[in-house]
Amino acid sequence: MPDVRLHYRDELENLERSALSGLDLVVASLERTMEAVEHQDMELAELVIADDDRIDGRYLEVHQQILTLLATQAPVATDLRLISALLHVMHSIERMGDQCVNIAKVIPLTGHDAPVRGEMVDRILMMGTQAASMLSQAKRAFEERDVEMARDLVRQDDLIDDLNKECFQVAVQVGEDQDTREWAMTMMLVARALERIGDNAVDIGEQVAFVVTGLFREFEDASHPGQGSLSGG
Amino acid sequence: MPKTADKATVDLGAGASSATTRPTNTRGGSGAARKERRAKRLELRHVDLFYSDFQAVQDVTMSIEPNRVTALIGSSGCGKTTLLRSLNRMHELTPGARVGGEVLLDDHDIYARNVDPVEIRRLVGMVFQAPNPFPTMSVYENVAAGLVLNRRGIGRAEKDDVVERSLRGAHLWDEVKDRLDRKASDLSGGQQQRLCIARAIAVEPEILLMDEPCSALDPIATLAIEDLIEDLKGRYTIVIVTHNMQQAARASDVTAFFNLEATGRPGRLIEMGPTQELFTRPGQKETEDYVSGRFG
Repeated sequence: MPDVRLHYRDELENLERSALSGLDLVVASLERTMEAVEHQDMELAELVIADDDRIDGRYLEVHQQILTLLATQAPVATDLRLISALLHVMHSIERMGDQCVNIAKVIPLTGHDAPVRGEMVDRILMMGTQAASMLSQAKRAFEERDVEMARDLVRQDDLIDDLNKECFQVAVQVGEDQDTREWAMTMMLVARALERIGDNAVDIGEQVAFVVTGLFREFEDASHPGQGSLSGG
Repeated sequence: MPKTADKATVDLGAGASSATTRPTNTRGGSGAARKERRAKRLELRHVDLFYSDFQAVQDVTMSIEPNRVTALIGSSGCGKTTLLRSLNRMHELTPGARVGGEVLLDDHDIYARNVDPVEIRRLVGMVFQAPNPFPTMSVYENVAAGLVLNRRGIGRAEKDDVVERSLRGAHLWDEVKDRLDRKASDLSGGQQQRLCIARAIAVEPEILLMDEPCSALDPIATLAIEDLIEDLKGRYTIVIVTHNMQQAARASDVTAFFNLEATGRPGRLIEMGPTQELFTRPGQKETEDYVSGRFG
C-alpha cells in the first residue's frame, strides 16, 4: 500500500522536534542559573529571568501546533498518544523554566557578601549538574522511545533527592548567625526548585512509557512509595 | 421453501418478538426509545464467503453483542460489505455466492436448512448506503410497506400507530407528521435515510445492519444519523460498515478491522475490540497503520 498523509507525518515530526528542543532551552537556562548561583551573578540571573520568555514562547507555539493538528488531522493511536505526551512534556518544560526563574529571583536575596557555606553550595551545584544530565537523558529516551532509559530517570532522581536531604541537614545545623541562617534558608529554596526539576524529568520519562505502551503508569507514586500506579490507558 | 407457511414454525428464538407482542413503549419518542431491551446476539464461526471461485472473506470468527454498535472498518475490497450482507442472507442473492461456517442469531444458525431467508431479513434489517425509499410511495406508505408485506390483515389504527412509532424512533416524526401523504422523494437526503431507518424498524427487527449509511449525506445529516444510532442501540444490535474512521470512533462501541494481504486475496478480521481501545491503543501494527492513515 502507498504511504499517505506525508505532510501530516512531517508536521508530527516537526512538532516533536520543536517540543523536545524545548528541553535544550531549559538545560541552557539551568546551566546559566547554576553559574549565577555559584558566582552570585545578578546580571546572569536577570538574563535567566528575561530569557524565560523564550521557553514560554516555545510552549505557546507547540501548544498551538498541537491544537491545529488535533482539529485538522484527527490523530489516533500512537499519534494521539504522542501528541498527548508532548502536551505533558511542554507543560513540564514550562514549569522547569519557571523553576530556573524562581532560583534566579532569590539570588539577590543572598546579599552581596553572603556567608556562603561551601558544603551546601557544592551539593546544590551537584544537584544542578544532575538535573541537567537528567533532562538530556529524558530527551534522548523520548527520541529513542527507550522505556528502560526513561525508567532509569527514577534512579537518577534519587541522587537529587538525597542531595536535597543533605542540604536540609546542613541548613538545620548551620549555627546561630542570623545572616547565615537566612542564606541557608534561601539556598533551601534553590534546592527545592532543583528537586522539582528532577521530578519533572521523571514525569517526561513516564510520558515516554505512555507513548510506547499505551498505558500511563507513574514510575514512583508519591502516595504509595515503592510501587507504580496505573492511571488508565 | 415456502415463505409464509413456515414462518410460524421457524422460531429462531424470536418467538416473543413479533410485532403484536412487542411492547409499544416507544410511542413517547426518542426518550422512550432509549429504554433498553435485550436485543439479540450474532456470532460468526469460521465464516468464509465466496463469489463463485473467488473467496472474498476468510475464516472470520467474531461475536456481535446485543445493544452495542459494532463498526466494521477496513480498506476497499476487504470484504466488510460482503460480510455485512451475509448476516441477513443477502449475500446469497448474488449468483454463485456461497457461505461457509456458521452465523448464529442467539445460538440459532441462520443458514440452517429449515430457516426462511425472508424471515431472517425481517429479523435482521438493512439500511443501505444511498437512501432508497420507494420514490412514488408516500412517506406513510414507505414506513408501512414492510409491515404490510410481513403481516396480512393489519388494521388501519395499528398501522398508524406503527408508522408514528417508527418515525419517532427514527427522529423524523416532527419533520414529516404534517405531510405523511407526500412523496418520499420530496424529502431531503438525510430525511430519506431516516425514513429508510424508520421503514427498517417498523417491522421490529432484532438486528440493524447499516452499510455506509451516511456516505451520501452532508455533515449535519450525518450527525443526525449518528445521534439516531446512539438512540437505537438501546433496542437493537447494530452493525455498521463505514469508511469514515471518525464516524466509527464516534458512533460505535466495538470496532472490527478487516484487511487483505494483497489485491485478489480474501479479507480477514485483523483485530476487534472496544472502539476507544482500538483508536488509542491498537494491538496490531496493521490496525495502527490503517486507523492512523499511514496507508490508504
